[in-house]
Amino acid sequence: MNTIPVIINDKKLDVDPGKTILEVCRENDIEMLTMCHLKGVMDIGACRLCLVEVEGANKLMSACTTRVNANMIVRTATDKIKRYQRITTELFFAERNHVCSVCVANGKCELQQLGYKVELDHIRYPHLFPQCEVDTSHPWYVMDHNRCIMCTRCVRVCTEVEGAHNWDVMNRGHQVRIISDFNTPWGESITCTSCGKCLHACPTGAIWPKAIVQGQLEKKPEMLSELMEKRKMKL
Amino acid sequence: MKSGTAVHTKELSKTDPRVKLIAAKMKKENYKPDALIEILHTAQNAYGYLPKEVLAYITKALHLPPSRVYSTVTFYHFFSLKSKGEHTCLVCTGTACYVKGAQAILNEIEKKLGLKAGQVSADDKLGVQVARCIGACGLAPAVVLDDEVQAKVSPDEIIKKINIKIGTV
Repeated sequence: MNTIPVIINDKKLDVDPGKTILEVCRENDIEMLTMCHLKGVMDIGACRLCLVEVEGANKLMSACTTRVNANMIVRTATDKIKRYQRITTELFFAERNHVCSVCVANGKCELQQLGYKVELDHIRYPHLFPQCEVDTSHPWYVMDHNRCIMCTRCVRVCTEVEGAHNWDVMNRGHQVRIISDFNTPWGESITCTSCGKCLHACPTGAIWPKAIVQGQLEKKPEMLSELMEKRKMKL
Repeated sequence: MKSGTAVHTKELSKTDPRVKLIAAKMKKENYKPDALIEILHTAQNAYGYLPKEVLAYITKALHLPPSRVYSTVTFYHFFSLKSKGEHTCLVCTGTACYVKGAQAILNEIEKKLGLKAGQVSADDKLGVQVARCIGACGLAPAVVLDDEVQAKVSPDEIIKKINIKIGTV
């Protein structure tokens, strides 16, 4: 297949056309921060952490939804982007009620790791402290909206991998919530197959199995990517 | 799919003209899931809001996931899950109307009728809403009473007109 030249961080790379900037960066060991990206499901560019500078574009582009062009000049992790990533991370923490010390995902949380990566030591924005529900109606799983960052990975996994479409997003702005069916409790959902894929897709401790204590959560998001790869092989 | 529990609260009557209207619209759109918004428009216009059993009916007919329908309904401000009232009183609070005393109108409505913006009276007769600007700044302060623009109204006038509408005079 023909390859096209792209320049990322002043380094010339020959890549396959049709790939996204994020895929190219990951293949070439260029560190990219992401939250809403999950290999195997559609990218939506919601978290704004993978922003890159593209020469000739008058705005920052999200690497996960921008495909490479021939002779594209891309810069990642410039001072401006680092500043923006930090702001985004602070807003993640300020939006809902994230308390690591009591969270099931403590130590295995992607949001926590993101905080370490951008060297977050304090949050400059006022916390919203919204009143969020904890849905324990499902016999096996719990949905804690306090820890949700609205990456919608669970929504996409439920729709694209499981094909159940139990989850979706209601309202808009800071009123948004993940809902199952007609905003009915998860346990009463008629579409949920209880497969547990959303559990593994969730980057934080928002969805977790019952009977798990603080810091004991094990998530395998790569399992979902493998599953999609195997489906494509058509064995 | 598991057997339904929560979704079907009430069965819709097939002879209800509003249900017939929705059914006709869905048939016209060939039950395409893409036509969801158009069908919701028809339902909203027929009922004045979107009751849950109507949403369940549309969801089933179009073979859509319930959460997808619910997310569409809650995303657009045009759609409402609660009744907006038999008669609606929309007070414009755009800059021109605000300067000309839109707040005084809202205060008077609250004082006389006990309704704040966004509320519906207990008997479902009247709903009070506000809009940022209805594009009739020359008529400020403007109030839209049941799709009829009332120009340059005073608080007393509007209360009189509302009372005639809801039939308390």
